[in-house]
Amino acid sequence: MNKKRAIILHTVIVFSFFLVFLRLADLMILNHERLSEKAERQQMKVEDIQVRRGMIVDRRGRDLALNLELESLYCDPKLFEFDKRKITKLAAVISKEPGTILSKIQTEGRFSWVERKLDPVKAKRVKELNIKGLGFLTEAKRFYPKEELASHVIGAVGIDNQSLEGIEMTYDRFLKTAGGKVFFRRDASGKTLSSGANMEVTGSNVVLTIDEVLQRIVEKELDLAMSKWSARSASAIMMDPFTGEILALANRPAYNPNEIGKASNYEKRNRAITDCYEPGSTFKTIIGVAALEEKIVRTDSLFDVSKGSIEVGGKTIRDVHKNEILTFKEVIQKSSNVGTIMMGMKLGKEKIYKYAKLFGIGEKTGIDLPGEVSGWILPSEKWSGTSIGAISIGQEVAVTPLQMLRVYSAIANGGFLVRPHVVSGIISSKGSMVFSFKQKDSTQVISSRTAEIFKEILKSVVEEGGTGVSAAVDGNWVAGKTGTAQLVNPETKRYSKEKYVSSFIGFVPADDPKLAIIVVIYEPKGQIYGGIVAAPVFREIARQTLSYLDVPIEDDFKPEQAFLVSR
Amino acid sequence: MIRMGNHESVWVSISKFFLIFLLIMCVFCLVYVRSSVVSLEYGLGELQSIKAERLKEQKMLLAEKTSLLSFGKLESALKEKDGFTMPDRIKVIHVDERRHHMPYRVSLQRGHLAEP
Repeated sequence: MNKKRAIILHTVIVFSFFLVFLRLADLMILNHERLSEKAERQQMKVEDIQVRRGMIVDRRGRDLALNLELESLYCDPKLFEFDKRKITKLAAVISKEPGTILSKIQTEGRFSWVERKLDPVKAKRVKELNIKGLGFLTEAKRFYPKEELASHVIGAVGIDNQSLEGIEMTYDRFLKTAGGKVFFRRDASGKTLSSGANMEVTGSNVVLTIDEVLQRIVEKELDLAMSKWSARSASAIMMDPFTGEILALANRPAYNPNEIGKASNYEKRNRAITDCYEPGSTFKTIIGVAALEEKIVRTDSLFDVSKGSIEVGGKTIRDVHKNEILTFKEVIQKSSNVGTIMMGMKLGKEKIYKYAKLFGIGEKTGIDLPGEVSGWILPSEKWSGTSIGAISIGQEVAVTPLQMLRVYSAIANGGFLVRPHVVSGIISSKGSMVFSFKQKDSTQVISSRTAEIFKEILKSVVEEGGTGVSAAVDGNWVAGKTGTAQLVNPETKRYSKEKYVSSFIGFVPADDPKLAIIVVIYEPKGQIYGGIVAAPVFREIARQTLSYLDVPIEDDFKPEQAFLVSR
Repeated sequence: MIRMGNHESVWVSISKFFLIFLLIMCVFCLVYVRSSVVSLEYGLGELQSIKAERLKEQKMLLAEKTSLLSFGKLESALKEKDGFTMPDRIKVIHVDERRHHMPYRVSLQRGHLAEP
């Protein structure tokens, strides 16, 4: 009996092992491939490597654009449980109508965004609501810590970090980088094991030529001028006249790039390079330089402007203030229309056109910012009978503030036309230099002798008797020129008697220029002249900048008599 | 005829026992090492997520610091609240060093140092 039982038990055990063996063979041999694939699918989790834009810093390494990690709220409509009370609370937290939230949730599929890039406080409050079916994903948000500062240079990005404006757009290919995917192992509870991979990649950093402090000085002074003169808009640029490095570039109105969606196109316009205006008297410099270069005049050449007006092509052009006989220098110093037109007529339209083109009028400067326009000047063969008079005094020609600043920089640096730029270098996320700006051999457009002579003439504009005395800076000689131009009334198609553009362009210290600055104020109220409206803005910007840059005082300062102890 | 003594069979038995013990120990060690690696991976995964959180906080704090230290905010705070002014290179103290005896003559304007 016992033996029989032993045989049965033995058979059952052997059979059981046989069944186990068969199952193992099924799992490990027959269905191995299918099951291992299934296991792989269950155990492996794929995640995108987070792509972050590179930072934008000023010339001294101060951050101007960086990234934040914010949480975005999404919904899985299949898991979502409608609770009116909670939805109302959610709507209050994220400042949206409950209907708007529900319209986003009631969509097909398993995923829909409810609100992107919530600030941490809001995200915490939403989490506390504990609404089933809502989840969070971390996303990078571009953050501009200086807000409006240099907004027209830096630009902005959209909700998906796509470039929209400024440097963000021009240097997008360097700032952004390619991502990729990382595979994680996870257990049955969904807990992930370390992949060991770097989950974040960052693009290259862009170093600007802009200086935050100088930019702030320029913007502060523009704001004051805007409010003082109730102007419609304003632009100012500060540039190193030898290298073409833009130290500051500002426009008013401006916008906060952190809230690009709220900014109007009017605010977003970088009018320093996208808006054309008639330069008015600041254009007389080109006529004067051309006349000197062509040896048509000498500094002591005399112009009889006592009549106070001149007729060109049947049109009479007058001086603002009546003068007697003026020297060439005085024509520029006093900004005589009649004297400059006489000079222009001596030069002839071909020469005027030639020098305008040599100075880059009607052509883009090539600045590394999007949207630059070329301005225009008609070819000399298309000029009307009055054109030679109008163009000589800066009418019938359209320029951008940057183009005019480049003209004056050429006089400041001895005759070379520089290429303005706002980026000095690009540094990879690992710290190696990817690109650094190298000024190509600049074209010499006028002789250094002419530039030197004209520098002296422009100095006289800021001295007693000149139109730009308000631009004079304590401690250094300033060279510059005022400009007042009428705007065209779009209704009458004639020059408006109320709307003007006031400007001042200059460089300082005149004999060893460190800065070239242009200030353009559009439609000031109360006063219109560049010498009254724009020149004081230049003075204030230059005064603070020279202090900041520690540019030594010149004039008659004698170091053997006194020295600086402290400040 | 060679006779094998009891002594030899004892050694064989010990060796067999030792080998089996070693084999079992190896299996246990393998299982132990494997489980340790998995625990380490879990630990690393957790550390990575903590690191990500900290980095997130660091980025937020850095952004806040940069924003607070912007020249515009510093300037307005120092000027309006504490009465500071920007350095002005014109406002310097001039000291007459031609006199070699104390006290030196000091003035905010160089012209004041001229001999009468």
